[in-house]
Amino acid sequence: MTLLLQEIVVGLTTGTIYALIALGYTMVYGIVELINFAHGDIFMIGTFVSISIFGLLGITATSHPTGFALIGVLVITCLVSMLVCAVLGLVIERVAYRPLRNAPRLAPLISAIGVSLILENFGSLWKGVSFVSFPQIFPQVTYDIGPVTISSVNILVLVVALSLMIGLQWMVNSTRIGRAMRAVAQDREAAALMGVNVDRIIGLTFFIGAALAGAAGFIYGLQYGSSIFYIGFQLGLIAFTAAVLGGIGNLAGAMLGGVVIGIISALSSLIPGSILPHGGDAWQNAIIFAILILILVFRPSGLLGQQVPEKV
Amino acid sequence: MFLSRSSNILLPASDTRKLLIKWVVALLVPVVVFTLWGGESIINAVISPATASGGVPTDTGSLVAAAIFTVVFNIVVLLLAGYLVAADSGRRGMIELWVEVIVFALVPLILVILLGLILGMALAAVAWLAYFYVRNAVRKARHYTPPPPLASLKAINAEQRSVLMSRAILGGFWFGLTFALISLVVDLAYFFSGSLPTVILIWAIIRTILLPVAGYFLGRLAGIMALRRTLPQTGNGTGGNGENGRNGSRNGLRRRQQLEVLSTTRAREEAKDLVPNDLPLRSAGAQRFFLTLLVAVMLFYPILDSFLFGPGTDGRLAGYGDAGYYVILALGLNIVVGFAGLLDLGYVAFFAIGSYAWAMVGSTQFGFLTGILVNPHIWPWFFWPMLLGAALIAAFFGVILGAPTLRLRGDYLAIVTLGFGEIVPVVFTELDKYTNGINGIVGIYSPILPGVDWSSSTPYYYLILVLIAITIFINVRLRDSRLGRAWIAIREDEVAAESSGVNLVRTKLFAFAAGAFFAGLAGAFHAAKLGSVSPDSFGFGDSVIYLAMVVIGGIGSIPGVIVGAIAVYAINVFILANLDSLASDPNNILYAVHNTIANVVPGFTFGNIRNLVFGIILVAIMIFRPEGLIPSARRRRELQHGNNEEVELGALDVPPGSAEFEAEVHVE
Repeated sequence: MTLLLQEIVVGLTTGTIYALIALGYTMVYGIVELINFAHGDIFMIGTFVSISIFGLLGITATSHPTGFALIGVLVITCLVSMLVCAVLGLVIERVAYRPLRNAPRLAPLISAIGVSLILENFGSLWKGVSFVSFPQIFPQVTYDIGPVTISSVNILVLVVALSLMIGLQWMVNSTRIGRAMRAVAQDREAAALMGVNVDRIIGLTFFIGAALAGAAGFIYGLQYGSSIFYIGFQLGLIAFTAAVLGGIGNLAGAMLGGVVIGIISALSSLIPGSILPHGGDAWQNAIIFAILILILVFRPSGLLGQQVPEKV
Repeated sequence: MFLSRSSNILLPASDTRKLLIKWVVALLVPVVVFTLWGGESIINAVISPATASGGVPTDTGSLVAAAIFTVVFNIVVLLLAGYLVAADSGRRGMIELWVEVIVFALVPLILVILLGLILGMALAAVAWLAYFYVRNAVRKARHYTPPPPLASLKAINAEQRSVLMSRAILGGFWFGLTFALISLVVDLAYFFSGSLPTVILIWAIIRTILLPVAGYFLGRLAGIMALRRTLPQTGNGTGGNGENGRNGSRNGLRRRQQLEVLSTTRAREEAKDLVPNDLPLRSAGAQRFFLTLLVAVMLFYPILDSFLFGPGTDGRLAGYGDAGYYVILALGLNIVVGFAGLLDLGYVAFFAIGSYAWAMVGSTQFGFLTGILVNPHIWPWFFWPMLLGAALIAAFFGVILGAPTLRLRGDYLAIVTLGFGEIVPVVFTELDKYTNGINGIVGIYSPILPGVDWSSSTPYYYLILVLIAITIFINVRLRDSRLGRAWIAIREDEVAAESSGVNLVRTKLFAFAAGAFFAGLAGAFHAAKLGSVSPDSFGFGDSVIYLAMVVIGGIGSIPGVIVGAIAVYAINVFILANLDSLASDPNNILYAVHNTIANVVPGFTFGNIRNLVFGIILVAIMIFRPEGLIPSARRRRELQHGNNEEVELGALDVPPGSAEFEAEVHVE
């Protein structure tokens, strides 16, 4: 039982990272119906940007500021990483997706795959083809809450991710820009007629989605301590799955989906080798996708997705 | 827009000479270049094997094949000459045609001679892009718009038919004569310089007589072919194919009416294939000849290769064999994505299943699994039934995957297929009791066929050609079948299709099964050719590449998908993967390019930026040709329809202006 709760805590922290990335997928999908395959690679660029900033500031695992200075460094790193990724997302939209807005449906998908390959290769040129370590500068303190142990990093990850999600929810639901986004998502032409600058709103969606991926890259580094150029591909796949699981196009769904998948993957490592050969860890992806398929069979539009009535 | 009904659909007969010069020159240039490059040495090797230079196959089988190819090549070229002269309306100038022949035939030919097949074709494609760009720029600068293609649906009378016939004959004859004379002059020059054996001189003289005579008769045949593509004259018994005058003329009348009732776009499309027309090189009639030529080249390629490109045939054929199963994979995926419109991101799973099907049966693994002792001399025979077996097993899994996805729409379906594609390799990795896990299965048997040596690449080349031919045949038949139309219907509108009586469950499951079937076929071939399989060669990245092949080629279009598969494979494997080895050769231009970059960026290799370049190419192709390289006819019509907002008068039942039209439109 303790083990189970412990794994749920682990799953919760990974899940929030998945959720942050999934938000980018789901926002873009909601507004332009495009699976943005490059999104995972933007996340990877986010981890690399954070590592580079630490490098620029001369911060290593052994020599780094403490106290408020540390918090300042962390905040700046996170913000810069978000900004770089956001601008990257904006540029990608402008170059690779906007010319294809009225093209056949699969053309932007292939374009997205092309961008993903470009970013991945760029990452390998930038930081090499092996794992890059992310300095563990946040003090590691573990707290025992009842039967489970939770570390300070876990708490930081949860706090950053949750505050970003709440911020996003607030922005989409309560601001003018958020209303414009929802309008464009619902009916692009009608929104344009109502005076919404559609191109700007779509650009902004990519901007915000990519910024969230940048933040996810930063906290991923804090949590796991390393990154590699293909990390975005794997995590992107899982995050996209999370977005679909929650109901693609639905922000709350993406968060729920991310957490559910995080917990499933954590729990799957509890499956002993006597049930599945080599234990659950080896089967993690298969288990995630099998559960996804099962859920979609019973809820074809995801957990929180609305059953859209068929237009005739 | 009304179709033009100009009265002069043929050039006057006196202008035949102009047409002859135009086409004989246009055809001679590439044909002579080809002959001087490799055609001559093929013939020489056939006539006198003793004089053949080194590296060229001189065994009887190869020589017979080479001789057959030469005969086929010459027949097709002579037929083409006759057909083109007859089919040309003469409305486009000589210079324009010659420029196009140079750009589209001579430039690729020369590049292929200089750089080899793949790199040459790739550079030719770049040259074509540059040509289009320059041409459009020039046209824009001079405010020139090309005249719309002749859309005359006027029937031609008996007199005009005889003119066409004589043109065809003259075209074949004059082409044969000039070609023979040029070859004779070249051969005589070589003979007097002493480097031509007498036996070949005798052949040269025979050829000089033979070619014009053959040109005459083949020209007549080409004329008959051209005449079958004309609209027969209404109410005149000479129409049709002559077996039944009245029936023929009624057919002709019906055909013309059909064309006029069609929309402008369709009528223009149809008119493009009639004789005479403005662009005979692009008409369906001429395309048959190109196709014949292409098939001949592909069939005899293993023999031609060493004549054309020198040593190293086996390695090149191995590469083309690998490219071949990508064609099958792309065609199979095209059924699911292109025809039925179901986005499949996990297609690699079926390929993996097909590969493992033969790997587990056709290796010692089978003995471990079942305890049955396998005789390695007889067991590989089992490959042939297992080719079908692997395809059927994959199709079965296609149905299994299809079943839970029936209620899903759009991208929810995509993620389930993606999930399936992720699960299958994990299963193959972790069930190592059966599949040998991450190490994969090695020592998979090659097929057996008496008298065939499977250690070289040639049999695999022919095997994949046969498999591709079967796949194309089934694909075309499926597309035009009731089932194919049901697929297209659910792609366009699921609800409308269902209410029109399409059984969604069956139709979708058939699409998944048919797609998976071809992946299984390709998988079994892949396992046998490579001799080993391992689970990490079947990833999401591979599924994505197959999808890119389909979309880049032109979704739903069979020729497009074939071209797309070859193009993507060639870019990725033949070109980008080979840049480094090319750059290590100091004679190559890439050597200088590499050194220049390496001076700025230390440690630079082309391998490091392979995916970068590939990604840029993918994005660029999509931005400049979002509908794919060769869009399907249906999609092309949709696109044209979007551009052309005019009301299509031909599509209306009653023409506007008539009293009935006013009566219909006028609403109280």
